[in-house]
Amino acid sequence: MNPTIPSRRRLLQTASCGFGYFALSALCQSARAAATYGPTLVDRPTPFRARAKRVIFLCMSGGPAQLDTFDYKPQVGKKPHPGSVVKFHRHGESGLAISELMPETAKHADKLCLLNGMHADTGNHAQSFLQLHTGERLRPRPSMGSWVSYGLGTENQDLPGFISLNTSKPQVYASQFLPPVFQGTPIGVNGEDMGKATIANIAGDHLPASVKRRQLDLVQAMNYDHQSLRPEDPGLEAVIQSMELGFRMQMTAPGLLDISDEPASVLEAYRVGKQRTEGTCRQSDFGRQCLLARRLVEAGVRFIELNHGSWDQHKNHRRDLTANCEATDAPIAALLADLEQRGLLEDTLVVWGGEFGRPGLTPDNGKDETGHNANGFTFWLAGGGVKGGHVHGATDETGARAVDGKVHFRDLHATMLHLLGLPANDLTYRHEGRQHRLTGPEGGRVVSEIFA
Amino acid sequence: MPCGPNAPRGIIVGGRAGKVCSHDSRFPAFVKPFPLVVIASLSGFCVSVSAEANEAEARAFFEKKIRPVLVEHCYECHAEGAKKLGGKLRLDTAEGLRKGGESGSPMVPGSPEESLLVQSLRWEFDLEMPPENPLPPQVINDFVNWIRTGAHDPRDDQPASQPVAEVDAASDLAKTHWSFQPVENLEPPEVSESDWARDPLDRFVLAGIEKAELEPTNDAPPATLLRRLCFDLTGLPPTAEQVADFTEEFERDGQRAVARWVDDLLASPHFGERWARHWLDVARYGESNGNDGLSRNPSFPHAWRYRDYVIDAFNRDTPYDRFLTEQIAGDLLPAEDDAQRDRHLVATGFLALGAKPAKAMNNNFAMDVVDDQINVVGSGIMGLSVACARCHDHKHDPIPTRDYYALAGIFTSTETMWGVAANEGLTAPPTDLHVLKAAAKVPPPKGWKETVLVIESNTGKPKQPPKSKWEPGTPLAMGVRDKKEPADCQINLKGESKKLGDKVPRGFLSACSLPGEKIEIDPKTSGRLELAQWLTRPEHPLTARVMVNRIWLHLFGQAIVGTPDDFGVYGDRPTHPELLDHLATRFVADGWSMKRLIRAIVLSRTYQLDSAADLRMVEADPSNTWLARHLRRRLDAESLRDSMLKASGQLELTPADGSIIRHRDILVNLAGNLHEPSRHRSVYLCMLRNSPPPSLSAFDLPDATTVLGKRSSTVLPTQALFLINSPFVVDQSLAFARDLWKSEPASGNDRARAESAVRRALGREPRSGEAERGLAMIRKVEAELAEEFPDPGERRERAWASFCQALMATNEFRYVD
Repeated sequence: MNPTIPSRRRLLQTASCGFGYFALSALCQSARAAATYGPTLVDRPTPFRARAKRVIFLCMSGGPAQLDTFDYKPQVGKKPHPGSVVKFHRHGESGLAISELMPETAKHADKLCLLNGMHADTGNHAQSFLQLHTGERLRPRPSMGSWVSYGLGTENQDLPGFISLNTSKPQVYASQFLPPVFQGTPIGVNGEDMGKATIANIAGDHLPASVKRRQLDLVQAMNYDHQSLRPEDPGLEAVIQSMELGFRMQMTAPGLLDISDEPASVLEAYRVGKQRTEGTCRQSDFGRQCLLARRLVEAGVRFIELNHGSWDQHKNHRRDLTANCEATDAPIAALLADLEQRGLLEDTLVVWGGEFGRPGLTPDNGKDETGHNANGFTFWLAGGGVKGGHVHGATDETGARAVDGKVHFRDLHATMLHLLGLPANDLTYRHEGRQHRLTGPEGGRVVSEIFA
Repeated sequence: MPCGPNAPRGIIVGGRAGKVCSHDSRFPAFVKPFPLVVIASLSGFCVSVSAEANEAEARAFFEKKIRPVLVEHCYECHAEGAKKLGGKLRLDTAEGLRKGGESGSPMVPGSPEESLLVQSLRWEFDLEMPPENPLPPQVINDFVNWIRTGAHDPRDDQPASQPVAEVDAASDLAKTHWSFQPVENLEPPEVSESDWARDPLDRFVLAGIEKAELEPTNDAPPATLLRRLCFDLTGLPPTAEQVADFTEEFERDGQRAVARWVDDLLASPHFGERWARHWLDVARYGESNGNDGLSRNPSFPHAWRYRDYVIDAFNRDTPYDRFLTEQIAGDLLPAEDDAQRDRHLVATGFLALGAKPAKAMNNNFAMDVVDDQINVVGSGIMGLSVACARCHDHKHDPIPTRDYYALAGIFTSTETMWGVAANEGLTAPPTDLHVLKAAAKVPPPKGWKETVLVIESNTGKPKQPPKSKWEPGTPLAMGVRDKKEPADCQINLKGESKKLGDKVPRGFLSACSLPGEKIEIDPKTSGRLELAQWLTRPEHPLTARVMVNRIWLHLFGQAIVGTPDDFGVYGDRPTHPELLDHLATRFVADGWSMKRLIRAIVLSRTYQLDSAADLRMVEADPSNTWLARHLRRRLDAESLRDSMLKASGQLELTPADGSIIRHRDILVNLAGNLHEPSRHRSVYLCMLRNSPPPSLSAFDLPDATTVLGKRSSTVLPTQALFLINSPFVVDQSLAFARDLWKSEPASGNDRARAESAVRRALGREPRSGEAERGLAMIRKVEAELAEEFPDPGERRERAWASFCQALMATNEFRYVD
């Protein structure tokens, strides 16, 4: 290790089940947290000024190669070294360097805030993916979307507060010990065709809606009879209300998920249905996901996660990376443009990134194979109160590790919560005798340098 | 990395704890600052030195070059009087330096490159000492030279005034924390209303109620009681006729009638189907591996045999100690015949059906498998989360890392057989399986061909699965057996299999050991049999307590210890500690019979209380801590589905044979929806991890990756959607309506039919006006459906089905008083 690198204590950061600090801070805060946040989706005011009201997380699973997308590392000196192997161009007034593989996204360079000094604890996919989502790499913990719903509620009482599109496994959208009302609702699981994916049982054509209403009226009448004999049980009223919410979701959600009312120009801009399959790049209909994200945001959903993968191109780096970029570039650009045009970008935080990055290839040495790199990689943010056309943090000359402006997942989490007006390290929940929080035992640092 | 004397050593040294947490007197002394685990690596580094240093030179070298550095840079955290002794390592005595900290010696005299001290000074990998800045290279070279020449340390080896405690704090805790104390057999307390109690356990409950200045509510009416008993003991509702019969008998014979019905329910094969499901939650039972982190989800085509074993064990009332022993060490038990041998082998599936992360790029794979086994034994049987100790001494429970690796040695000496893992080596290497002798050979149906192919990981192209090493239809079972060369396990520093610390003799948890207890594991075996014997000793403070608490939970919807999988420091305290011990004592004394314990509890006065109660009393004890009433409970996923099948007349009560994936070694994630409609009880549905049966998944199924003693009981709008729209519910409502017309056809009496529907769905007589209200809805629906369903027969069926569906969606159907 280079001793000149200022190093945080990595082992402290990898605490997998540390409790001391947590329990301590928890004791002081539990009462306040309990008073502020309850198991309800009702929209609630935030303790701090909310720069962003909602989040769209573009989850790039597999570890996108930052050096060939957003972290330009040209060759320096005489000896060839690992770095970028594709061309970069400068874009926008800010002159942000963006890979030629992302030509459409590049047009929005002045909206992007690059975090080039990201780092994480492990190069193990599953663990780092979990840590990205929950702050914890070894144990199931609530997902960040659940934490955000817990902190903020949601704007639309006819829809869930947290929706995960084309998702991989329950652990990344689970509320775990948070009340189940904060659980993410998956749409499209495990590579299901996104064109057909929907909320389970959201529609049923066995009866027309009017008959279903009549039927529910009978159910509720019987429920009220039942409840009147059990006046001591307030829980039964919650069940009755939940039946109504389900019924309303049935009315609201299918229309939202049905994009046939969108003009052809929009479908084209988002590249809906344009699938790309090449090596590790799997079909995700990312255009449809991006368009759905915009519609869900408009409808008042608080946290939406989109998924594309896999960016884990060990072999055929150039071919598969190109495919992954092609599959996501135009849809993301369309989403940014659309959000901006509708005035939503200013209070919608868009987050792009994966569980880690990749080491660079050395140009012209014939190698086309990369591995995992958790010591330095890139995320970008857009909208939601962050600086546009801005670069925060840097990796060293070969892109091997973050050396400046380092941001760990827990710092990213803290920053996101803060932008949403939530107390990053004080949003806690008591479980099994201690307070838990998204930012983990160590707590996260709010990267306020990037605030607009 | 092989375990062996030449493997590098690890030390654990303290971090700059102040950055992480500040000391607080509210915390017991054992809560040490978060330890930094410093890890060895193998990188070599040669420095040429003179090896002829004599004693005087060595002393001079130490005094000049080594001691000042230790004093200046290390003593702050690693010496007597340090504010917090980092990693329990002392560097202020020669002994401390030799012995090392939590995980062994920091030095291998003569081999600087294998010495953690050197590596930590070099800040290699995760080694970074001193924490602020690395020392100058010249100083580090001095340490290299010093160790190379034998690490002479002339300091006076006075025994430290405060010896470095390894797990002293932990063992203090083991002496004080309630769950580690011996189970006490207490006399039931005196109560003022002594007539009220029916069973001794009632006196423990009543004493609490009286102390809280509450009063027990009324006894449940017989109809309520029977419905509760039927669901609790068999997971199925009673018929309206049974309710009427029971009510009549109860009014005549009182508790004698209850006892008769309870005995019948306990003897029913459906008892095992119900209670097996509770244990399957604990055993994190699944029929596929679940997502391995890379989206691969290989099937477990033989896991269902374990499910059948558990059902059978509950129906036989296998004593709990025996039940555990079969699951942990069935392969090591003598068997009288092939059938018993098969049963024992299948039981060990308990240890083999965990969810594993992918093998690819995962150095810790083998230890991940072991971790799951330790977790299921720890949380499942002892109610202790041992798993944290994989990486560090447990922060709040008295479980040092050494104990974890003592247990781990038992499982690393065990061969875990999950099968061929869908012939996908990247997810898990293929293993052998137990070949059963008495079980029937069931080959796949003629012409069967697997449609889900293996994907070549490099090319992404599909290929035919390789031929199985067994004849098609060979009865196979997942499970475990001893490895040929059992061996103790080395500590994996920070949970990393490549970073090894001291070797720990195989053993169990020190916190649960009796004073003077000697652990003797035959070195030629894994030690699983000894582990099972140790767990099931009558004196074990946790095993019986944990199980009686689980049983109580399933009968009351609330447990005596609210965290059934965590009896540790951060778990809940028992609301009724004496009651818990009373039940545990009885359980063990009664031969660990689960049926007899359940029988005693359901015949108690406490169990038979009504769930309706005076509002003031509910407000005085909203969570029902004192058990002055019975909690109303939502049906779990299985009971809800089974009840719907029963109401619709579709329920097939014979056990399902095997599983829909019994012939399929496939990646479930490539297969689309594998589930098929079934009329069998829900316990027989295929419990694929990450792909649960759609007819159950809305209602808090466990994800089967970890022990789950207490399921959530959520109220979610997606459940409403299930009741309103799911194909399963719609199918059942149509079948219900058709059956209604078949069984009440004669007079064409709609009113009788509507009443019959209420009876079938709700197990009671319709109330006044209820049938009329239903009929009014049916008529309106029928009129509204005129266009959609021009055929009058079909229209009528739909209209009646909408009524049947409504009945099954009511709270009365879905909740048990």
